[in-house]
Amino acid sequence: METKVAVYICRGCDIGDSLDIEALNEVAREKGAAICREHECLCGDDGCEMIRQDVQDGANALVVAACTPRFKTDTFTFDGCRTERVNLREHVVWSHDPNDEDTQALADDYLRMGLARAHKALIPEPFDEEIDKTILVVGGGVTGIAAALDSAAAGYDVVVVEKEQQLGGWSGKFARTFPHKPPYREPEPIPIQERIALVESNDRIEVHTGATIERIAGQPGQFDVTLKANGSSSEFRVGAIVQATGWKPYDASRLGHLGYGESPNVVTNVELEEMIATGTIKRPGDGKPPRRIAFIQCAGSRDENHLPYCSSVCCRVTIKQALMAREFDPTAEAYVLYKDMRTPGQYEDFYRRAQEDSGIFFTKAEVTGIVPSGDGLRIEAENTLLGDRISLEADLVVLATGMVPNSADGEAIRRYNDAKAIVAKGEAGAQLEAAKQTVEELGHVEGSAILNLDYRQGPDLPVLKYEFPDSHFICFPYETRRTGIYMAGCVRAPNDSQVSQEDGSGAALKVIQSLELASRGEAVHPRWGDTSFPDFFLQRCTQCKRCTEECPFGTLNEDVKGTPQPNLTRCRRCGICMGACPERIISFKDYSVDIISSMIKAVEIPDEFEEKPRILGLLCENDAYPSLDTAGLKRLKHSAFIRFIPVRCLGSVNTVWIADALSRGFDGILLIGCMAGNDYQCHFIRGSELMDKRSENVQEKLKQLALEEERVQLFQMPITDYERLPQVINEFAEQIEEIGLNPFKGF
Amino acid sequence: MSQALLLHPDRSFAEELIACGGGDLKKCYQCATCSVVCELSNVGAPFPRKEMIWAQWGLKNRLVSDPDVWLCHQCNDCSTRCPRGARPGDVLAAVRQKSVEHHAVPNALARSVNQVKFYPLLLLLVPGVLLAAALVLRGTLERILPLGEPHESAFYADFFPHWLLIGFFSTFTALSFVGLVFGLVRFWRGMAAADRMDGKEPTIGVGASVVRTVKSVLLHDRFAKCTDRVSRRSSHLMAFYGFMALFVVTVWATIDLYLLPMLGVESLYPFNLLHPMKIVANIGGILLVMGCVKAIVDRSKSRESGGSSSFDWTFVWLLLLVGITGFVTEAFRFAVDPVQRTALEYAAYSIYFVHLILVFGLLVYLPYSKFAHIFYRTVAMIYAEHSGRTQGGERVELPAVVEKAS
Repeated sequence: METKVAVYICRGCDIGDSLDIEALNEVAREKGAAICREHECLCGDDGCEMIRQDVQDGANALVVAACTPRFKTDTFTFDGCRTERVNLREHVVWSHDPNDEDTQALADDYLRMGLARAHKALIPEPFDEEIDKTILVVGGGVTGIAAALDSAAAGYDVVVVEKEQQLGGWSGKFARTFPHKPPYREPEPIPIQERIALVESNDRIEVHTGATIERIAGQPGQFDVTLKANGSSSEFRVGAIVQATGWKPYDASRLGHLGYGESPNVVTNVELEEMIATGTIKRPGDGKPPRRIAFIQCAGSRDENHLPYCSSVCCRVTIKQALMAREFDPTAEAYVLYKDMRTPGQYEDFYRRAQEDSGIFFTKAEVTGIVPSGDGLRIEAENTLLGDRISLEADLVVLATGMVPNSADGEAIRRYNDAKAIVAKGEAGAQLEAAKQTVEELGHVEGSAILNLDYRQGPDLPVLKYEFPDSHFICFPYETRRTGIYMAGCVRAPNDSQVSQEDGSGAALKVIQSLELASRGEAVHPRWGDTSFPDFFLQRCTQCKRCTEECPFGTLNEDVKGTPQPNLTRCRRCGICMGACPERIISFKDYSVDIISSMIKAVEIPDEFEEKPRILGLLCENDAYPSLDTAGLKRLKHSAFIRFIPVRCLGSVNTVWIADALSRGFDGILLIGCMAGNDYQCHFIRGSELMDKRSENVQEKLKQLALEEERVQLFQMPITDYERLPQVINEFAEQIEEIGLNPFKGF
Repeated sequence: MSQALLLHPDRSFAEELIACGGGDLKKCYQCATCSVVCELSNVGAPFPRKEMIWAQWGLKNRLVSDPDVWLCHQCNDCSTRCPRGARPGDVLAAVRQKSVEHHAVPNALARSVNQVKFYPLLLLLVPGVLLAAALVLRGTLERILPLGEPHESAFYADFFPHWLLIGFFSTFTALSFVGLVFGLVRFWRGMAAADRMDGKEPTIGVGASVVRTVKSVLLHDRFAKCTDRVSRRSSHLMAFYGFMALFVVTVWATIDLYLLPMLGVESLYPFNLLHPMKIVANIGGILLVMGCVKAIVDRSKSRESGGSSSFDWTFVWLLLLVGITGFVTEAFRFAVDPVQRTALEYAAYSIYFVHLILVFGLLVYLPYSKFAHIFYRTVAMIYAEHSGRTQGGERVELPAVVEKAS
């Protein structure tokens, strides 16, 4: 179908008063707009009707020069058309001097860029493949049960896989838990058996106990699962996965300094919990009931040498266990030695309850050692208010150990397997030595895989800090770096059973959302609703594997030669593969190397005698673009010499654009994206980080061209830094003016 | 480095403290708000935070040998600011009571005196019986003892002669004060032992400490730093100086009655209303009553900000009743015609008898009741100077109990 471009310029919101609209019309006509109209209030009924009329008459590429594309999106969406938004309001009139020559030039350029894109971009056609909407829940504990029940209640078929012989997880093994309802004072029974019964009696839920996953191949909507349950294998297809594999206690054998393993009367909180479940507490050493029980909090937790984090539940578990020990034997005493008591939320009342009991003693202390003393144990501690150094005798010592996620480090397993393959081949060379070393170092991951995904980047989810496979827990709860696979419960973050249950429900909602989006060929968060997907022009592929390596979501598998094999429903449409590809063979219908290059080329570069520099800004759509909108909303001014092009992610920036811009005569290039690093805010995990790496190559290029390396700069910002953003832009513009104009101008 | 302290958690002692006014001590979660708001607390090793956790663990030895609890004047700033309602001010008061009871000799008496159920017996019956016995034995004693020629011209002397009065009270007070001295010595030694265990050395001599402490007590200057309720200082000042005036007059009256005649000076006893000593006595009495009344009114008004145990109430009421019965007794002296005696005489004797019972309760039980604070607090303040906890009553920065930042 032929592209018929129609341009609409809104005069509202100060645009008409600040710009020469006639001049803009002129630009539009010059750049091939078939229709060019203006309106006092384009988003009003009248304005929309005007557009609708043109659409009926055959206009199919609309350029709406008005406000930011983040507003009025639905208003300016018309069936069968692509709408290109030119942000004249936030990025031009609200952030620049009105009726100024430079402001007008800026608006003209933005309109040219919009038109360039409108001419080239196509309407994406969603892929249409059959999607299975069954949900696989891995792990049958309190979290998995919640995810299964809620998914079933929402009308989805569920398969629950549990490695043990019965459902329930840890909750099924404990006698009581801390209270989950007001007044938050007494330990409560765990209603897990009722929940298990609900699962077992639900027609939509199929349960496999004693089961492990042999393999999961495919992609969201089409995951083919091979299961091994009690000796026999079965195969079935599911659409999406909730991983609720829970936690394991921290390995207490590493806590020798706290007497574990040295004396049988030093136990972990889980071991005490198992005793409590039997109804009596006995010392493992001699079977006598202990009269003095000491609880050592943060045993290996919040300790750089062990678990650096707080598991959030151990303090409450200790309070519960102390109360229950006192209930079993009213003459017993409990001593709690803590770093800090952490009883979040309403659990302060639970702490109060324990404090009221004169048989439970609390003190802050740093435990320095636990040694046998007579019949019992002596605890040595420092830094207490009871005394600089104290010792305390007890019959039983309980180490409050923390939670470790039951996760598998997918990337490490992949490295290990790759290295093993090299060693097996046995071809001599430096590679072999390195592989041997890797096999040795990563030997511990052997057999640790849980999901056994058939993904090039590894059989399990990549893990982040402290082995938790969470994607970015503040902004995207339950998300992982594998589309269609969500994380809930203690494998996501240490939680109590109530929060885990809520987590299960939350993950169920996310997993349903992902299935529904996949069934419409749409992307999940953060580009939800996007129906574009990457096209690979494989004839020109050189098998460099950059795309398969750099995709943060493991979208691409490889054939034996290393040619990428796309799995479209795994894709989140960030375009990082497009930025990575040196052959520029990857493109989206409405976002490609060529489209952005055309936009860059659409900017009119003043000749050197005008002394007006031009700067290209590549602006991440996720945080930087909204931030600049906010700055405009607050009427914060920025240099009129910069031209911004929104990009899906800084990771999608192909360095050819930088080369194009410099050879076109741009004097500087500013790349603005989300924060990278440990506490990254990048919506596609690694985009900013990858751009940072590619910038190094860009700097090399600049050197070759004898250009100053300050001409290309990368800036990372959180979305809240909108007040700083105009300053950063202006400082960069000043710096470019100081350096002087690009010597390639005019060539 | 101090040696490691072997803890003996003692639930029963914590429960005792809870029973005698420290009812909320278990609520403390060691946030240190109390120590921060306290104007008297030392920097580095501040009370009442450390006392709160000692109390929770029932560390009796630490608490009863802790001079810091006596450096608190119970303004209860800490109790009103405590985010958990643990009432540290009240806990310190309970600790002080336990400290008195712990050190007092004989110990059993101390523990009994402070129990309300023993009040009728100990406060009324015992002194009543003893005084009555003294009256019954008066004739016998007069015959046995070489009393010389009595020259009693006072009205009440007919009922309870001065030699008997002085003999009776000197005997019993002296006995109880022997107990007191033993108690105070044990207290001092306990404090010194605790500091030695913590590796602390005294900073100045005892003599200098006494001088500084006396000055501080006379001025009530530490009391003045309790900013929340300055009025407590004025009532305490009135009661303190009122009591001191009456004490001085009593001593002088004895001197006047017995020593001056020996030196050939005519005794002026009983003093008339314009006698300087009588003026001092009456002013002292008025101050005592006013101070007690003000204290009682203030305490009743502000019960929410400062709890008072029976230990506190008994003492202030006893003091007030001694003052009131003293004045009534005095009034009868002027109301009853010394020659034409009437039925009023018996009323006068009765009230005098009651007055004497109350004085007995106050003086003889002093080492065991809240009144003991006059000595324990003074000794603790002397010790605080001696050990460097305070300097001239001012707080100082001490090496922190917790040495490492956590």
